[in-house]
Amino acid sequence: MKAEWEFVVKVTATGANIYRRYQLPPPPLLDPATADHSTYSTLRPIQLTSTGKQPIMANTDPKLADSPVRTLQLSALVVMRIIKHSTTSFPTPATGMLVGMDVGTALEVTNSFPFPVSTPDTQAGQVAMNPADPYYQADQAALALAAPRAKGSATYSAEMLKYLREVNVDAQGVGWYMSCSMGNFVSAAFIENQAFYQRQTDERSVALVFDVSRTSQGSLNLHAYRLSPAFVAAMKENKFTTESLQKSNLRYQDILIELPITIHNSHLLTSFLHQLPTPPPSAPTAKDFPASLAELRADAQTHIASNPLAPNYDTLDLAIDPFLEKTSDLLLESIEAHTQEQNNASYYQRSLGREQAKIKAWQEKRKAENALRAQQKQPALPEDEWQKLFKLPTEPSRLESLLIGRQVEQYARQVDGFSAMVSGKMFGVKGGLVPGEM
Amino acid sequence: MGDATAAPPTNPSSSFLHLARPLAPAPIATTAPSTAPLNIAVQPQALISILDHASRRPADQDRVIGTLLGTRSDDGTEVEIKNCYAVPHTETHEQVEVDMDYQKRMLELHLRASPKEVLLGWYATSSDLNTFSALIQNFYSQQGDGTFPHPAVHLTVSTAPGTDVAAHTYISAPIGTTPERAADSCLFLPVPHEIRYGEAEKSGLEIIAGARDREDRSQPLHTDIETLERAVEQVLEMLERVSNYVSNVLDEEAEPSAALGQFLLNTLSLQPKVEPEEIERDFNSHIQDVLLVSYLANTIRTQIDLSNRLATAALTMGPETGSGDGKNDGERKQGHGQGQRGGRDRGHGQAGPGGRRGEQ
Repeated sequence: MKAEWEFVVKVTATGANIYRRYQLPPPPLLDPATADHSTYSTLRPIQLTSTGKQPIMANTDPKLADSPVRTLQLSALVVMRIIKHSTTSFPTPATGMLVGMDVGTALEVTNSFPFPVSTPDTQAGQVAMNPADPYYQADQAALALAAPRAKGSATYSAEMLKYLREVNVDAQGVGWYMSCSMGNFVSAAFIENQAFYQRQTDERSVALVFDVSRTSQGSLNLHAYRLSPAFVAAMKENKFTTESLQKSNLRYQDILIELPITIHNSHLLTSFLHQLPTPPPSAPTAKDFPASLAELRADAQTHIASNPLAPNYDTLDLAIDPFLEKTSDLLLESIEAHTQEQNNASYYQRSLGREQAKIKAWQEKRKAENALRAQQKQPALPEDEWQKLFKLPTEPSRLESLLIGRQVEQYARQVDGFSAMVSGKMFGVKGGLVPGEM
Repeated sequence: MGDATAAPPTNPSSSFLHLARPLAPAPIATTAPSTAPLNIAVQPQALISILDHASRRPADQDRVIGTLLGTRSDDGTEVEIKNCYAVPHTETHEQVEVDMDYQKRMLELHLRASPKEVLLGWYATSSDLNTFSALIQNFYSQQGDGTFPHPAVHLTVSTAPGTDVAAHTYISAPIGTTPERAADSCLFLPVPHEIRYGEAEKSGLEIIAGARDREDRSQPLHTDIETLERAVEQVLEMLERVSNYVSNVLDEEAEPSAALGQFLLNTLSLQPKVEPEEIERDFNSHIQDVLLVSYLANTIRTQIDLSNRLATAALTMGPETGSGDGKNDGERKQGHGQGQRGGRDRGHGQAGPGGRRGEQ
């Protein structure tokens, strides 16, 4: 028993050390002497590790200050449409257009529509049309992700906007949305889409990311992102070499800016929501009560469970394995991708070194030759001919490793939030089942 | 209301009848088997979209209409309204104009994005059924562009101020003595409907419903922890209510109910009987799993950060940024060597979660 607690404390204490070294907000170090069996002191370090969970809150983030868009207001309609579109197309990511208008630094999103996914032409489709084929899935995902900046979608959305304007919808494109699973949205396609939008429509556009898997755990998981100005500048030059990164001091933490989201209902919807649940009888009498257990069950079926506004208790679920397994898998994937990038980089270094050695040898040879020619009173040969003879390898773009870094950060935050939640729940269950223990 | 009984028309000037349709799956048409839906499910986003359209209607128009999209079961008895879009129309005392071209193009656009949905019918934002309704209904259920052979579904959502928002669903049957009369009259039959929502929509609806009691009708998104807190608070509140009720019954202040008592007793007996040691063991292994993965994730994050920094930081130590300098190059290599070491450390990290999963 004692050993278990020490393990907990040790783990989090090391975590705290790592935080401190990287100048993130330093959590107060836990004194092992105070780490006794009380719930509070064992819970506290876990909560501390979750401070990274909400990195960007309204008006506190300096990165938001110079952004043309600072807050995002979603109408209920948009939320429901995105949820519906994303869940029906799951596991293929869904993408769509957001329309609305901008009011100062706030962006109001009032409607949305999905992008059509262009199906691969039938000749090629003959082979790949089997949905069980993993390549088919990958193709579909790639197609869906490419949709926001595809040419077909541009004409589609232009036409759609034209029609929406006729029925008094705020027909101004304000961004796009996509769905993801377990936070795996940071990819080159995502960045390119958002760069495309941020370049195009007057800079004021956002990317909404809806996490299908995490929403099924009980809490609506919707985030709005924009690319930081520094990253957009780098994107414009399309240069992600070591040098340019040093110059711009761009780190993976700076790629995306998260915007705070609020949900706004219309008056009409508010009144509709108020009358949806049938109010309980004001003065219950004997005949309001069910006569038997069976009747009560039937009643509960029709009235409580089917009530759309019934409280949602999915978040109280105690299962942890699916989440941990999936996150570990995704983390491993990221690590593999990272190693690959690292290999590319070191391959580049090696070939660069080889070429440079060759050039040096050539230069020395030419120098010696020139010295010889000088002795023989002959004109010297040019010494910069090596530029024509040797070609230096081009440096691989570091964009991918930046994105991997951001993705890993996303996963780590997710795990932090999850562990904070789960440990709270588990202590609760333990306290409930073993009274007097705590 | 059991049998098909004719009710007096609500509006004496219009040529339609209100009929209550028997709920048993009896064919309405005398010869062909019925293709009419018996039950209509409405998804919340369709309703919200209709309400949104209603609040954006032109000032001089009492009602606005739109097209309903969704899915129909194979035999046509179950209809699910999943989506809808607005269609502009103008209505005067004498005539009604529906922009049919708009409706056609919009349908095309919608079907391109979600090919599984079909045209189901139309909605209007007032609960009136008049001659114009019949005209539009016949337009939607016609052959060719319409829903034929299935009857079109008509959904009315009353949005008059001061009254409740009430939704009704109807299907129609042709009626009329002459072909001319048949074109602008039809028989609206009420069909039961329900609001159906998916599992994933629950959390969305919860947030939306959360905004209804606020003055500004807005609600910031919750974090996971806040959602958990709210759920726990709600459970506590419900427990409080139940225990209040029980103690009131014991004090003979509230009406007792045998069924409720039995239900509560059954629920109480659901508490699992487990040994404290077992709980202790499960608890510890669970919490260790969680903390291990959390720790690993953070270690990996740190390593990636470190490797990214090393990859770009090595050069800043050198005074020159050119690529031909030997000393510079050596430094960069050193930086990469460290990055590689980081990679190896991560190799250990990789073994961690794999080993954990192996245990399970």
